[in-house]
Amino acid sequence: MAEKLIGKDIAPPDLVAKITGRAKYAEDFRAEGMVFAKMLLSPMPHARVRRIDTSRAERMEGVVGVLLPDDVPQPEPPAEPVLAREPVFEGQPVLAVAAVTEQIAADAIEQVRVDFEPLPFVLDPLDSLRPGGPNAHVQGNVRVRGEDGTEWRDHKWTETDFAAAATADRLPMGEPVVEWSRGDVDAAFANAEVIVEETIVHQSLTHHPMEPRTSMAYWQNGKLFAFTSTQSTARTKGALANALDMDPEDVVLVAEYCGGGFGSKISGSTLMRLPAIFSRKINRPVMLRVTRYEETYIGRARPGFQGWVKMGFRGDGKVTALDLYLVEEGGAYGSGDNGTAGVVADLTYQPDNVRVRSVSVFTNTPPKSAQRGPGGAQIISMLEPILDKGARELGMDRLEIRKLNAPRPDVRFGPRDMGLTSVHAVEALAQGGEAFGWEEKKVLSGRRNGTKVTGVGIGLSPYTAGSRGYDGLLLLRPDGKLQVHQGIGNLGTHSIADTARPAAEILGLDWDQVEIVWGDSSRGLPRSSVQAGSQTTHAHTRANHAAATDARSKIQEIAAGTLGGAPGDYVLDGGRVFHRSNQSRGMSFGQVAERAIELGGTYDGHVLPEDIHAETVAAAGGLAGQGLMGVARDNYGGDGGVYSWVAGFAVVELDVETGIVDVTEYTGYADCGTVVHPRSLGAQILGGSIQGMGMAMSQRWVFDPKWGVPLAKRLYTARPPGILDVPLEMSWGAVGIPDPQTPVGAKGIGEPPVGAGAAAIASAVADALGGRCLCRTPLTPDIILAELEGLEPPFSRTATHVG
Amino acid sequence: MDEVVVTRTLERSVSRRTFIKGVIAAGAATSSAGYLLRGSTGLFAATAMQGTAERLITLNVNGQQRRVDVLPNETLAMTLRYKLGLTGTKLGCDRAECGACTVLVDGVSQYACSTLTHQVRGRAVTTVEGLEDRQSGALHPVQQAVLDEGGFQCAFCAPGFIMSMVALVDANPAPTREAAAHALSGNLCRCGDYDKILNCAMRAAELARRV
Amino acid sequence: MATIRDMMPAFELFQPTSVDAAAELMDEHGGDAWALAGGLDSMDWFKDRIKRPRVVVDLSGVSELRGIRETAQGLDIGALTTLTEVERHDALRSDYAVLADAARHVATPQIRNQGTLGGNISQDTRCWYYRSGWPCYRAGGNTCYASAPQAMNREHCIMGASRCVAVNPSDTAPALLALDAVVTVRSGGRERTVDAEDYFVGPAMDITRMTVLRPRDLLTKVHIPSAWAGAHFHYEKVQDRGSWDFALVSVAGAFRTTGGRIQEARLAVNGVAPYPVRLHRVEQALAGAVTGEETALAAGEMAVEGARPLRHNGYKVPLMRNLVRRAVRSVA
Repeated sequence: MAEKLIGKDIAPPDLVAKITGRAKYAEDFRAEGMVFAKMLLSPMPHARVRRIDTSRAERMEGVVGVLLPDDVPQPEPPAEPVLAREPVFEGQPVLAVAAVTEQIAADAIEQVRVDFEPLPFVLDPLDSLRPGGPNAHVQGNVRVRGEDGTEWRDHKWTETDFAAAATADRLPMGEPVVEWSRGDVDAAFANAEVIVEETIVHQSLTHHPMEPRTSMAYWQNGKLFAFTSTQSTARTKGALANALDMDPEDVVLVAEYCGGGFGSKISGSTLMRLPAIFSRKINRPVMLRVTRYEETYIGRARPGFQGWVKMGFRGDGKVTALDLYLVEEGGAYGSGDNGTAGVVADLTYQPDNVRVRSVSVFTNTPPKSAQRGPGGAQIISMLEPILDKGARELGMDRLEIRKLNAPRPDVRFGPRDMGLTSVHAVEALAQGGEAFGWEEKKVLSGRRNGTKVTGVGIGLSPYTAGSRGYDGLLLLRPDGKLQVHQGIGNLGTHSIADTARPAAEILGLDWDQVEIVWGDSSRGLPRSSVQAGSQTTHAHTRANHAAATDARSKIQEIAAGTLGGAPGDYVLDGGRVFHRSNQSRGMSFGQVAERAIELGGTYDGHVLPEDIHAETVAAAGGLAGQGLMGVARDNYGGDGGVYSWVAGFAVVELDVETGIVDVTEYTGYADCGTVVHPRSLGAQILGGSIQGMGMAMSQRWVFDPKWGVPLAKRLYTARPPGILDVPLEMSWGAVGIPDPQTPVGAKGIGEPPVGAGAAAIASAVADALGGRCLCRTPLTPDIILAELEGLEPPFSRTATHVG
Repeated sequence: MDEVVVTRTLERSVSRRTFIKGVIAAGAATSSAGYLLRGSTGLFAATAMQGTAERLITLNVNGQQRRVDVLPNETLAMTLRYKLGLTGTKLGCDRAECGACTVLVDGVSQYACSTLTHQVRGRAVTTVEGLEDRQSGALHPVQQAVLDEGGFQCAFCAPGFIMSMVALVDANPAPTREAAAHALSGNLCRCGDYDKILNCAMRAAELARRV
Repeated sequence: MATIRDMMPAFELFQPTSVDAAAELMDEHGGDAWALAGGLDSMDWFKDRIKRPRVVVDLSGVSELRGIRETAQGLDIGALTTLTEVERHDALRSDYAVLADAARHVATPQIRNQGTLGGNISQDTRCWYYRSGWPCYRAGGNTCYASAPQAMNREHCIMGASRCVAVNPSDTAPALLALDAVVTVRSGGRERTVDAEDYFVGPAMDITRMTVLRPRDLLTKVHIPSAWAGAHFHYEKVQDRGSWDFALVSVAGAFRTTGGRIQEARLAVNGVAPYPVRLHRVEQALAGAVTGEETALAAGEMAVEGARPLRHNGYKVPLMRNLVRRAVRSVA
């Protein structure tokens, strides 16, 4: 019997390369004649380049060329140029110099003279919304849906709107850009037993993947060879071809390993175009080694929110009304976390009456992008401590109030009135509570030990966890091995290997007979989902399931055709296909593959299904005739959104004399359907939760308001969590109930733990403070100590980019 | 000091003392622009200088003697990655903050990004590429432990963490989990795989004790 | 000149192998020379291309500057002794634990392996305006960005400001103050000794330096007198992260007690002023005081008298008060 693979711990096949230093990330590639590019970054948050003089730099020995804004497309904002004529944030690349060494390139940058004309800038969205306030772009400060798609608008609130807020501790709420509602919130508040209302700020924070977005590129015979750091492979090739206005088949994209992206490198980066364009101009391979300093500016950030929330409760703890207003800091090129945030809030608390208003404002701060659980993680970490407040006023258990409000299978939510394929949030809460020991731990709440007070918290966090309709592509070779072609990326989630498991299982193959093909578009990659939004576990177990099912049929047909009988009489196991009545009446997979090549047609990929994507057709075309091909589109369909959940539970010790919070215990418990790879799942749950802890406790983006430039631009000032900032031991678990609408039953998990980790800590800190919600992240010792000492808070409730 | 190209002796008062001098060629100059002035100020303003050729030195890396051209201002991480082809040592921050460039110098963990290559002449440098047994090709116990525990996610930090783990198990064969966390606190993992990394470290100590 | 970071500008590198040679080089090159110890603070400046010495004198090959020697008068610690050695040295751990403790709190294991005691006490401030290359007073300009009305100054000083509001970032400095340490500075052929407390200078004295070191000067030795050997010590550092972080506030204390009374005390705090602050008044008040909570509370209050927080660092006042309180409370 072939081994059962789903649910087993199997180290990913690339791990040895990773631990011996042989794994090649983008900066590890070299090319003959390679030169180094260095960039000149904008020194101000908003400016117009009046004049560039590179003559002195170009005269330097070793300088090979310069790349100017005029050398690259200058799309209309909010599209982002590679090099900006009108930089809209400090740190935006303006030009680049290439030289034979990086040292010379850097020295040459210093010799460049750029005349910048400073333009008005804005960092705080509220400043831009004030009457007469500055706009981040000369075109406006928000994008709205107009008659011909989205358009710029100069969106301002009135003095009255601001006056109504009265103090800086209350969010002003003028005209929103997006609004949706269900039921009647005002009536529901009128009938509510308890109402909680807060102004609350969630800071913006940079992704800081360990590997900066370095790229190298060269051209050969009209083809572009690009090496970059990206979360997705197949989709990055398309994105790069599209950006350079090229036929995708003329691009060879190599992205074998990605040193983290977290949403900031979904289909590569804007910057990956630079070496490609530069290389074309100077006809030399160009390495753009992006430094941490540059990455901090250019590497994207999670958008911050300034929010206001009002929650109404029935006497039994049911949330009956939720009114939410979110002002999003959209950064230089915009963001849309505000939309998701409202949907996630509605899904998590299931109020009968809900109103969500928001405005996403462009600012002259580094560009934003999705960051693990975009919108969801922020809103959950903001709202969970407020739910706790309601529970306290009602005298309810905090776990019970979550179980009461969490969605049931008949859930409907959001402005589009969606349902879910499956939901076991209540089970995640109950089983997670059991595993954590909620009943025993909750009594520790407020316990004083010397100067330390214990706090206990919970966070329940959902996020989308799957998509449908991608292609699978497999090749059974004459040596009997199975090649699984993966167009998704390799950023450490192990999906390149784990989503191939269903294919091996369906074909009855042991895992050591499977080879994963990934990371190099010249090797034939099928149409794939982006490796983002927790999609791949769901999307590509399906796609590989479909392709393997196709391969199985073909194998059975070949066996029946060769050995007689009906295809359905043949069983696959141990690398062979044989008749169910007689094991010796069979063929090895190697023989089957050879027979497939002889037969040609659909068997070896010369004839392909009609419904697969053009990218898959191209990939399969290159493999035709090399073995038996399994290729299919995921047509399994499905009804409703695919969401996974994590319930996070934490214990903290808060030192009342220093404001320092020590996270001592953490349990994350997931509802993500069937567990494919337990150890990897645990890593996602705990790793995501730790990112959430950083979000809640320490990470920040600080700007000087007068000059408009960032200050916390080093790792130690931006403060992502280290190994001493998290509990020494953490635990995790999963409900493990399969999703009925997907053949393997598995859903993704990358996103939800971030909100769970952040919210559990925020909830625990509020608990340690006796239920006081500080309503701001990060919860740093200065803010906590000021609260404990009764000092004026260091920052107002609406202050952003501070710390 | 046979590798020293220019050895200068101070003739007047310090004739018995020798020191090594390295010189490089590069230009630098100052100017200023409006708005917010940022650049060199004060005491150590840039000065243009003349220089001579690069210097050939010998380094002991992973047990091998390697001849290499090294600039005076060149860091060990750059030499390893760009001159010796040892790209396992990663540049995560280049500012001694993230630990991805951790290597061992005479068995002690250091940040290669913030060590001048000229400072390690005559000292034994070990990188992640030097851990496997040279004869058998077997993984180092620390690497084996990571494989056993399925450690790391994106793994860009892995070479650095592994070098810190080697330093840990060499110095402390039976660390507590807390001691291991302290020993690894100079390495950052943005995937947040700390729990599993600590499992790896504990397993590594166990395997190392058996060797 | 356009700004670029991350590639160090060219410099001439000298690697002397004796203190005399090093001193000679420093003397010869004067203001053009930079003494390189562990290199962590130095390379940070070089990579930012803000400090651009023409000559770098790498001290790592000067073995006389390394190591800890026990003498009848106490301990002599070479300026190039790594923080790891300081952290692990037996005599330091047993007799002068406050310094070993302080060294253990520095950044990360790798930094402690590379970084030196001399470098740790001589490093520049981490004010993020100054470190970004802004032309502030300390950088030779004519303003302080960190104390401007809207400035971000959560990590800046609450006392000792004089135009500049940056703080001293050293973890070991307050421990040296608490031990009455004396440092030796070599300048050309001459040597001079300076009390640890006087080694650090505030902006009122010299706004461009953190220490008495001037061009041509070389810090060679830190002497720990035996006076405080085996005393009761206390060290605490409050930081935002568990590793690789500078102190928001740190405190170091040394106490001699007898019969439930404090005979003599030393208390120093860092992270609150542009220099480590020795709390002389509190020390005097503690001499002869009964150990216990009441004394601790009074000491904390006295320590922060006159503190003048900036807009965003008011929390440092209670934090400093509480850390001093805890130090005194630790004397059981």
